[in-house]
Amino acid sequence: MIENRPWLTFVSHATLIVGIGLVALPVWMALVASTHPASAFGVGHIPLWFGDAGAETWGSVLFEKAGNGVDTPVFWMMLNSLIMALGITFGKIAISLLSAYAIVFFRFPFRNLCFWIIFMTLMLPVEVRIVPTYEVIANLDLLNSYTGLTLPLIASATATFLFRQCFLSIPGELVEAARIDGAGPWRFFFDILLPLSRTNIAALFVILFIYGWNQYLWPLLITTDDAYYTLVMSIKRMLSVTDGDIAWNQIMATTLLAMLPPVAVVIGMQKLFVKGLVDSEK
Amino acid sequence: MTDVILEKVGKTYPNGYHAIPSVDLSIEEGEFIVLVGPSGCGKSTLLRMVAGLESISTGELRIRGERMNDKEPAERDIAMVFQNYALYPHMTVYNNMAYGLKNRGVPKDKIEEKVTDVAQMLGLTELLLRRPGQLSGGQRQRVAMGRAMVRDPKVFLFDEPLSNLDAKLRVQMRVEIRQLQRKLATTTLYVTHDQVEAMTLADRLVVLNKGKAEQIGTPMELYNTPATPFVAAFIGSPSMNLIEATLGDKGIELPDGLILPMEVSHAHRGAIVWGIRPEHLVVVSEQEADFALNVQAVESLGAETLIHGVVGREPMVVRLSGPHLPEINSTLWLSAPKQHWHLFDANTQQRLSL
Repeated sequence: MIENRPWLTFVSHATLIVGIGLVALPVWMALVASTHPASAFGVGHIPLWFGDAGAETWGSVLFEKAGNGVDTPVFWMMLNSLIMALGITFGKIAISLLSAYAIVFFRFPFRNLCFWIIFMTLMLPVEVRIVPTYEVIANLDLLNSYTGLTLPLIASATATFLFRQCFLSIPGELVEAARIDGAGPWRFFFDILLPLSRTNIAALFVILFIYGWNQYLWPLLITTDDAYYTLVMSIKRMLSVTDGDIAWNQIMATTLLAMLPPVAVVIGMQKLFVKGLVDSEK
Repeated sequence: MTDVILEKVGKTYPNGYHAIPSVDLSIEEGEFIVLVGPSGCGKSTLLRMVAGLESISTGELRIRGERMNDKEPAERDIAMVFQNYALYPHMTVYNNMAYGLKNRGVPKDKIEEKVTDVAQMLGLTELLLRRPGQLSGGQRQRVAMGRAMVRDPKVFLFDEPLSNLDAKLRVQMRVEIRQLQRKLATTTLYVTHDQVEAMTLADRLVVLNKGKAEQIGTPMELYNTPATPFVAAFIGSPSMNLIEATLGDKGIELPDGLILPMEVSHAHRGAIVWGIRPEHLVVVSEQEADFALNVQAVESLGAETLIHGVVGREPMVVRLSGPHLPEINSTLWLSAPKQHWHLFDANTQQRLSL
């Protein structure tokens, strides 16, 4: 449908601009606040333009210890977050690819039951099973470790379901052609299935990375060693000052840093992401 | 030398459905066999059993003397062309054709030589680096055939490979498949529901009906001496006029009291099916006629004219060469030459010899 009505163009643009303004304002404020001294935020009015303390704040955030009882610098926590997010993402993708592969292409007893049991875990996110999961991880001696940070979050019913649907849409003739061409289960998986679900994997990667990066409760619970603190949980820790000033400028700078990786992933993979959600090139 | 032998091969599905009771077929080396029948007759199932994609419930399948029942498809040394081509969408034409060889551990230079050869034979050389998505239907069809050919299999299996092409391309590919098969002299099993395709391609035809082989023979055998009314109706287009009648004292008694006189031996009396092909009916003068046809519809195709009408209450089609324009509801006097009659026992559905 092509419409040529100037006022309509104006209204739609105005709406979009207001929308962008609303969404971007907090980000802008965070950026501005990081350039003012810590006290500027506490006095009641919120500055809307850059101050002169920018270099100092960013210097201390990037290179010094985070302060307020946290002994590690921000970039170290960023690294922790990154390891955790990537571990969760790749783990989830690998496990759900394999389980979906088994459920769709192999005939074994109770195949459907297996699928439904996996599917039912949708109702059991970490928050619900947090006490028993904690106990298991504690008994396995995995507190304060990257394994402990990632492993309990790796199983994914959503991803399994997504891959199952994706595999089901692959025509049976293709599977048979591969069988006649002498491709065994592994060959078929790597040569045919993986390339065909490439876009789905990319789309899931984006979603799961953000999910992993934003984990808050689980890392808060199982890390007591500063060396394993993740960025997202540390922001909260930096806020809980018992007496004295909250270092708003540093917190804002850290928040901005915490935003960067997810934004980078979304922007970098946006084409594949959209393709994976709408396209089926089979 | 006999290449492929199906001995009492049958298929029963786990839910108890008896898809194929028992089929016997032996195929000579280099022979082109077409399995033909209406949809649901089990022809694809039979082909897939030979391919190893469906298990064989009863009987035995042997290829070059070796029992194949429990072998994986890849071990049977067969190649299959699917109805929807089943090309790997993410691979180039070259990789599509090379994939089977690669999995068999053929050295790289050998693969390249083989694929280039076959591509040249099929006119695909220019397309080797494209993906299936960038090809037309006919080209994809060719790639699918190329993929089968590079392996030099003992047996080619085709599962309705032309049904997704438009009419013109279908005729062209039909001729091409026939020529290629002659040239390669590879034993071929071909499934189709199109009787024109079946007649033109086959060395021998297998007409299947409800999982049973109604008749096996050369196209002309099937056309001239169909064994059952089913084969008679299936082979030939438009199909044979079949009328249920009685063999009485004076000859064939059609419904509506019409009698076609003939000498009858006592053995055959009773209910029969009388048939004559549309092209064997002759328009004659009223005195010479066996019966009158009331014209209902006329299909003019230029080179020939199909006239649909009724004799008494029985529908009948006449095929005349050249243009004719009889009026609707007019009467056409027809003679049915005796040498073209087909008689079948109505109870056993078997052909009666005159």
